[in-house]
Amino acid sequence: MADLEQKTKQGASRRDFLRGSGFAAATAVITGPAIASLDEAKAAEPEFKIVSDTTTLKLKVNGVDRTCEIEPRCTLLDTLRNRLDVTGPKRVCDRASCGACTVILDGDLVYSCTTLAISCGGKKVETVESFDSGVNSVPHAFVQNDGLMCGYCTPGFVTACKVMLDHNPNPTIDEVRKGVDGNICRCGTYVGVLQAALAAAKTMKGA
Amino acid sequence: MPSVWPENPRLIGTRITRLDGLVKATGKAKYPSDMHPEGMLFGAMLYSPHAHAKIKSIDLAPAERMPGVKAVMIVGAIKPGSTLRFQGDDIAAVAAETEEQAWDAVLAIKVEYEVLPHVVTEAQAVAPGAASVFKGTGIVNNQKKARSQTNGDPEKALGAPGVVSIEANYMAPVITHVCLEPHGLTVRFVGEDKIEAWASTQAVGVTAGDLAGAFGIPTTNVTVHTEVMGGGFGSKFGADIWGITAAHLSKKAGGRPVKMFLDRAHEHLGAGNRPSAIAHVKLGASKDGKLVSLIAETSGTGGAGSGSNFPLPYVYAVPNSSRTHTDIFVNGGNARAMRAPGHPQGCIVMEAAMDDLADKLGIDPLEFRLKNLKERDMVEDGFSKPTVDRTPMYLDEVAMGADLIGWKAKWKPRGKNGDGPIRRGLGMALHQWGGGGPATNQVACTINPDGSVEMKSATQDIGTGARTIFAIIAAEVLGLNVTDITSNIGNSTFPPGQPSGGSTTTPAMSPPAFNAAILARDELFVKVAPGLNAKPEDLTLADGQVCVKGEPKLPWKDACRKLGQQSIQVTGKSSPGLASQHGGVGGCQFAEVSVDIETGVVRVKKIVAIQDTGLIIDKMTWETQVYGGVIGGLNYGLFEERVMDPTVGIMLNPDMELYKLAGASDIPEIVVRAYETPAMKARGVIGVGEPPTVSTAAAIGNAVSNAIGVRVPHWPMSPKNVLDALASKEGKA
Amino acid sequence: MKAFEYVSTASADIAVKALGGVDGAILAGGTDLLSRMKDYVTTPKRVVDFNPQSVVQKETSPGGVPTWTILAGTTLADLLASKALREELPALWQAASEVGTPQIKNMATIAGNLLQRPRCWYYRSGFGLLSVKDGKNLLREGDNRYASIFHTDGDALFVAPSSLAVPLIALGASATILGPKGERTVMVSSLYQIPKRDSDRELTIGADEVLTKITLPAPQGKNATYEARQKQSHDWPLVLASVSLRFDGASVSQASIVIGGVAPIPYRAVEAEKAMFGKPVTLETAEAVAANAINGVKPLSGNVYKVALTKTVVKRALLAAVGNRYWEEV
Ligand SMILES: Cc1cc2nc3c(=O)[nH]c(=O)nc-3n(C[C@H](O)[C@H](O)[C@H](O)COP(=O)(O)OP(=O)(O)OC[C@H]3O[C@@H](n4cnc5c(N)ncnc54)[C@H](O)[C@@H]3O)c2cc1C
Ligand code: FES
Ligand code: FES
Repeated sequence: MADLEQKTKQGASRRDFLRGSGFAAATAVITGPAIASLDEAKAAEPEFKIVSDTTTLKLKVNGVDRTCEIEPRCTLLDTLRNRLDVTGPKRVCDRASCGACTVILDGDLVYSCTTLAISCGGKKVETVESFDSGVNSVPHAFVQNDGLMCGYCTPGFVTACKVMLDHNPNPTIDEVRKGVDGNICRCGTYVGVLQAALAAAKTMKGA
Repeated sequence: MPSVWPENPRLIGTRITRLDGLVKATGKAKYPSDMHPEGMLFGAMLYSPHAHAKIKSIDLAPAERMPGVKAVMIVGAIKPGSTLRFQGDDIAAVAAETEEQAWDAVLAIKVEYEVLPHVVTEAQAVAPGAASVFKGTGIVNNQKKARSQTNGDPEKALGAPGVVSIEANYMAPVITHVCLEPHGLTVRFVGEDKIEAWASTQAVGVTAGDLAGAFGIPTTNVTVHTEVMGGGFGSKFGADIWGITAAHLSKKAGGRPVKMFLDRAHEHLGAGNRPSAIAHVKLGASKDGKLVSLIAETSGTGGAGSGSNFPLPYVYAVPNSSRTHTDIFVNGGNARAMRAPGHPQGCIVMEAAMDDLADKLGIDPLEFRLKNLKERDMVEDGFSKPTVDRTPMYLDEVAMGADLIGWKAKWKPRGKNGDGPIRRGLGMALHQWGGGGPATNQVACTINPDGSVEMKSATQDIGTGARTIFAIIAAEVLGLNVTDITSNIGNSTFPPGQPSGGSTTTPAMSPPAFNAAILARDELFVKVAPGLNAKPEDLTLADGQVCVKGEPKLPWKDACRKLGQQSIQVTGKSSPGLASQHGGVGGCQFAEVSVDIETGVVRVKKIVAIQDTGLIIDKMTWETQVYGGVIGGLNYGLFEERVMDPTVGIMLNPDMELYKLAGASDIPEIVVRAYETPAMKARGVIGVGEPPTVSTAAAIGNAVSNAIGVRVPHWPMSPKNVLDALASKEGKA
Repeated sequence: MKAFEYVSTASADIAVKALGGVDGAILAGGTDLLSRMKDYVTTPKRVVDFNPQSVVQKETSPGGVPTWTILAGTTLADLLASKALREELPALWQAASEVGTPQIKNMATIAGNLLQRPRCWYYRSGFGLLSVKDGKNLLREGDNRYASIFHTDGDALFVAPSSLAVPLIALGASATILGPKGERTVMVSSLYQIPKRDSDRELTIGADEVLTKITLPAPQGKNATYEARQKQSHDWPLVLASVSLRFDGASVSQASIVIGGVAPIPYRAVEAEKAMFGKPVTLETAEAVAANAINGVKPLSGNVYKVALTKTVVKRALLAAVGNRYWEEV
């Protein structure tokens, strides 16, 4: 008997369900992944659909339905920045090593520079611009603790911090470190970043 | 009459959060690379894949035919026959409707190269028969010797009876700036002769001048905006070939704006670096620990043309010394100023030798250092002659630092740090820097009838909190809150402001800001005094009120309303008495490390940084800068290294993965303290961006040697370098 | 990145079909493939976005040894979230926990990790897997600090990149592969080979095949991984070792010792395995056994340090398996 050990985050972690399966059956317009079992997907998907040209992408960015024309090779990052004018996420290494491009994709923290936009059809993208910035927020804590200098890495750090705190409202300083280890700051603001995360954990609880 | 800073400041020197913090932290700040003016095209550069090559032919036509392409051009003076001197040297550029199309077009440009022999490492460059990077007077075998500097008779002093000496080699590699926002700009050519640009620059004025110069138009026809920018560290002072090229592309494309930012590899290759340092050093002292002689032969590479010199002797008094420095040229990108240019290298070499000699003498290296301080500061800041006697300052600072790291209790001689796999060690280093700023800048202050206040100047914020500094100063003078002030900077058409380099921005801009606020205040007093039946000189400002002889009489807003239709507009200039009259700052740093001698892995446990910088305007952003400097130094000490391949002449790690930079888990406890005595405050404002990054790598290297009992001569303190050093000790034993 | 055509599917059958007859590549988390495509090192005509489920499960068959199954699409984050896996397969859990960053763990899949291509800087700069140019091996002549110290007689001097392959091989895992001719199952160790020519691949899986799952028998005994790296935050291991030990009383009755970061394939330290046989794991035996792990080592000009490192890493993996972490600071 299969003892299904694993179901990580509550709700629809993107790989708990099939992604993109709705797309294959549909037109060149990419719609959301159907939540279906593997068998259903197989049955509904006898052949595959090839996208070779510019196509229309629909996705939800910061709660708003957005549409734009992309090529299959467009990364989510370049799509956000160049096509949708969502410029909180930055392009820095463009190779999954610095975290400046970090966004939340269907609830998961990911690098948007190494995610194809075309595989995000119908998904929910949240970027730093959509976060609460009130007195109990992570961005506010960054300001209060001076966790930024030039600020170019900051959207990525704020995003990583927020997701870390969403999962672990009571982090130790080492857990904060691990939570933001996918981000690099060249100005050297880590001390403020760590303090900010701990402070945000406190005020968010107080709120 | 010389101006003086307020004696009992309300805001200056306190902890004030930065004004533009929230717009940055919410991702809403628009960086130059975020700009997307209507109709914008995407630019991309073609750069040399070879370390050294001649262009035989170049054909742009295939690129011009590609979909979406609006303009293609050869860069600068490149033409068939031109020589490319390093991987990353610029060749051509494209502007297209989408970025993907621009890359495709770059690939479509056909260039035929004649690949020439290259040299990319120092060893390769100086080998007999090495290929020549370029010809020039005084360059032999890719080397240019600087005039040697000699004081006294170092050879004789070193050989004198009773002198204890060491002879050693130290090496620090080339590192690159890795600004997170790449170099570049978004630019629009307007009409026949106007340019508007959003540039990631440390100097809006210089960038405007570069663009104007490139097109032969007046600088007044160019507007450069830099609201915010993503880091420069000394490498972003002008429009650069990339910005000028983008402006040409915009012009070619009928004035459509062009965005041109380098990719990460190009950034490593062509946008600047800190030169390497290679040193052969003999250092000698009397048995009781007084330095007598230094003989240093040093070299380093700053790429295909830039120099590589660094200060040496450094900090300490050496009565007899000789120093010869040789610039080595390689087929690599050129050096640019990088956070305290030269000093980190000088500090590594001097402080490593100091530690090695102290060990040989059997003297506590802390005591040894204090015995050999110079009486007069050696650093000249370029603006004024240093007249400060640093010795008592260093003594105080070292005492503070030693206390905070627990030197007395924890320090043990080299090799006496236990026998398990994990060894602890302590190290220290001293540093100095110029700072200060020129008196050539201006700040405009406007008080409007609605009570709003604006401070304005063509300087920019590179992360140092320039906006906040203006606001603090104005609020201090006008009795307002910092958030009541609007600071407008980052526009080249504003009154002339300081380029952000050499730790000069705050010291250069604070005095004219102070002066502007005072002039504006005094004008307001003149306007409102009659209505209050008082003389202007009886008026003061406090807590948002105009006071007559100390009594609050009129709220700020009401006072301003009395201006009627007319705002107060004044321009402040630098006035004597406020800043940088005595440049030259210094400090010391201590590092505690643990080294796993079985793996060579070094972990920094704690760093203590003591820094003097005159009068501190914002304690919070000041501390952040010191933390940042220390972390930059930690990267230099532990991780960073440009790795070149000798055979094919390319950089092997032009990324952010194998070009290693600290992440949060690499950051130790860092204790920062300002050395801030009344005498220090009286010196006025002196900058802090650079000094605290100078001595960290040296202190870490010394701590590692202290922990493992042997000098690791090569920076960074990587497992390879540590294990190699341990193995060579065993080999000798 | 060059333009390509795109297919998305959750079905392995369709993925295999979509790969047929074209220069295609499977896209999983994309953290490796897309970077290679941006560097023009890999330029597929078709990208098949294969997005199967992320599932880790343990099946007990009556009477037999329980089996762990990890489907190809399982992300490292999901792997790490499994408490049972952490307890029973600490070697795998530990190795996964040290891979990349939180973001990479959310994106990277087990299949992608096992089948990622070498990080060798010459390969990534476009000089081919063997990085031989004009008869010169660039890695041998150039900067080989991260290169192999075993099997260095040939031209393949890069190191196999996958951290997860190391514990999976030590744990005796198998990979199930679907191709145009049907399904086959191979040991994870057989996924790798040492290329002899530049046209060879270091992976044995065919260009039109798809990895669908990893299975492994529940280990009987103890297992552990130890990794040495320069940075504490994300960094590649310089060397890592995984061990899986069976005991007869206090003595080891069977040992698998696999080392990563030292050879173009995950390196099995056969002599060390033999030396471990019949002994308890103590500081002394671990030290002696680790010395056997470097028999036959042939470092290059710039990576002699890796020899000492390998010894330490093997020693520590053995000791970690029995709970002795002597190197940790108190
Ligand atoms: C900064 C950084 C640090 C890293 N550190 C480590 C580390 O310490 N250890 C380590 O092991 N890795 C490390 N990695 C690499 C990372 O683990 C891999 O990139 C990742 O595991 C690949 O998984 P993916 O799902 O993203 O694969 P993809 O990039 O999507 O694919 C990788 C390769 O596998 C093929 N592939 C994927 N799935 C299948 C399948 N089902 N069938 C057939 N072929 C398939 C693809 O075609 C591709 O060639 C690091 C990466 C970065 C950027
Ligand atoms: S830009 Fe995506 S991780 Fe650096
Ligand atoms: S604040 Fe400048 S890079 Fe982090």
